Amino acid sequence: MYRSRRRRLVGLAYLAPALIFVLVFTGYPLGQMVWMSLHNWSLISPPRWVGLGNYKRALADHQFWVSFVFTLKYTVLITPILIVGGYLLALLTAANAPLRRFTRTVVFIPVVIGLGVSSLLWYWLFSPTSGVINRVLLDLGVISQPVLWLGVDDDVSNAAIIASVVWKVIGFGMILFVGAIQAIPSEVIEASLVDGAGRRQRVTRVILPLTRRTILLVTLVSVIGSLLAFDQFYIMTAGQPENQTATSVFYVYLNSFPYLKLGYGAALSLVLAVTILIFTVVQLLLTRRSEA
Amino acid sequence: MRTRLGWPVLAAAVALLVTACGGGGAPAEDTGNAAPATTSCASKGELKMWERSGGNKEMVDMLVAAWNTKNPDCKINLTYIPHTEMVGKIAQGIASGEVPDLMGMDLIYAPQFEKAQQLVDLTDRIKSWPELKTASKGHMTVATFEDHLYGVPLYADVSALFYNKDLFTRAGLDPNKPPTSLAEMRAYADKITALGGDIKGYYLPGNCAGCNIFTVGPLMWASGAKIEAKGPGDEPLVGEGVKQVLQFERDMVKAGNVHNGDRTENGETFHLQFGSGKVGMMGTGNFNITLARQQNPSMKFGIALLPGMTPGSSASFIGGDLVVVPKGSKRVADAVNVMKFLLSDQTQVEVYAKALNLTTRSDMVDNQYFKAEPLVQDVAKALTVGRTPYTLTFFEQINSPQGPWLKMLQRAYYSDDNLDTIIADAKKAMKTIAATS
Repeated sequence: MYRSRRRRLVGLAYLAPALIFVLVFTGYPLGQMVWMSLHNWSLISPPRWVGLGNYKRALADHQFWVSFVFTLKYTVLITPILIVGGYLLALLTAANAPLRRFTRTVVFIPVVIGLGVSSLLWYWLFSPTSGVINRVLLDLGVISQPVLWLGVDDDVSNAAIIASVVWKVIGFGMILFVGAIQAIPSEVIEASLVDGAGRRQRVTRVILPLTRRTILLVTLVSVIGSLLAFDQFYIMTAGQPENQTATSVFYVYLNSFPYLKLGYGAALSLVLAVTILIFTVVQLLLTRRSEA
Repeated sequence: MRTRLGWPVLAAAVALLVTACGGGGAPAEDTGNAAPATTSCASKGELKMWERSGGNKEMVDMLVAAWNTKNPDCKINLTYIPHTEMVGKIAQGIASGEVPDLMGMDLIYAPQFEKAQQLVDLTDRIKSWPELKTASKGHMTVATFEDHLYGVPLYADVSALFYNKDLFTRAGLDPNKPPTSLAEMRAYADKITALGGDIKGYYLPGNCAGCNIFTVGPLMWASGAKIEAKGPGDEPLVGEGVKQVLQFERDMVKAGNVHNGDRTENGETFHLQFGSGKVGMMGTGNFNITLARQQNPSMKFGIALLPGMTPGSSASFIGGDLVVVPKGSKRVADAVNVMKFLLSDQTQVEVYAKALNLTTRSDMVDNQYFKAEPLVQDVAKALTVGRTPYTLTFFEQINSPQGPWLKMLQRAYYSDDNLDTIIADAKKAMKTIAATS
């Protein structure tokens, strides 16, 4: 009895640093956010208790749900490109030959650039008056007049932003996939070769199943990152045309800071956080079921 | 006798004890009746000042340097706070008692802070200053809340009509006669666009709420309209000028006087457009004088006031920063002295004007430096006709990319929707927002 209690205490002592860290840096801010969401608070005047008022308002806020649906659309479109594209690049560059290593580096470089900086760069590239993209397309005769890529048509704007984000982050997934592919024991690959597996069979029957966990990880990171998209839309379209390219986080930001409605912003954030959590759990459950 | 003396002595002793105990803490807030303000320090020790980043840093640095040179015993220690963090930082400072002695603030946010009673009421200290009679009207409008004064101008940005004299000449127009009405603007734009190529007569930022209140808002004001709703129950978008200006801009777009690409302008490259040399006329700000010269040194250009429907009518948007004193400041008297310094003739001429920045007093524009630089003198005229919107919900109503102002403009510019319907929709949305203030 005494020994078991002591063992529990020792275990708790080992856990304590991580527990304290989580409580201070996750638990407390989350609790504070819940508290904020139950108040009307502009930061510069005292908070006023409104109970669930902010949540009721969020559920009835048309613009929030328009933004949310747009964010889902963006996520659904960009995630397969990042996963499939990243995986194909990883398959092409996984072997450690000099040219492949160089290609990996080139594809990975944009990952280290800030998203704000890359968005500004692409804003200029897509410019109808001075942008390189329109210039090249005009010179090649693909288009007869400059295309208004950003802020005029929501689908065109979305496509342009997806292109810029793919350029920026596809290297991240690629590097993780390369690591996973390189971690497959060479004996397994050799055994598949002995069994007569062709290149396609090696990929679909050996490499893909053995890198499934990394695929799940990259998918999760991509989905969460896309659901939280902000910088690229803020800089490149500012939500236009007519707020059709405003993402959920963009709307949360507007309410929280420029509008100084911190309580409402907190409620919107929590609604968004719960939605992302549901997506993540569903995704994990589906993957586990397919593994079983 | 002993008893009669005992109570006062005891009271004095208690008072002394309390004072002594308090002496170890932070100095008490300086809110007492002040001595007349001067342009020098009333007490020694560093003055803490915050200013938002993203404003006119060059100008503020120069002003602080000038004060520090004059007052070596109480230099200003200036800290720049990221624009988006300013409100949080101030709120945090007020809660913890760690506020600066004075601070610069985007003038548009001042009414919110004044209403929330986060700024020191300076009415009794500054209301009799003669300098305030000519201080920028726009700044002083937002520095006033319910007849109480909370600040003075720190620096000013004004909007005006920039026009390309080279293109005017090529189009057969008199380069020394800028348009004085919207009808003239339209006629001139048609002629400049007719030059062909990628030359256009006019520039219209299609996706930027802030740029439009800065440059299209004054066209409405000059045409007798009112734009924002001040608060609950106040009517926005009043006057025929709103519809007239929207029609004018729609016609400009339809006539091809505006680059197609201007529709995507969200403010990121707004400041670079006039210097491209491909735009005949454009509403922009005084900051564009230097920029346009750097971009296109050989381009000749002029500046006029933004006109309205009636010939000779004009208006301007006055933006910039106020200098205010946050609640809890320990050096209110010195902060007020800094304000006096900023508004003094000497600073207006030898710091603001010498650096070719706008003076914040309209009676100071007639100075040697502006005389040598006619463009600055021209743009400075905007100070006399300029105004600043006054509302507690400026960002939501006007400045937000998701707000009703930009939505109204985009529908007017790029759709064929009925203008009365467009205005009615925007009016309803603005009133709803104002009702929450």
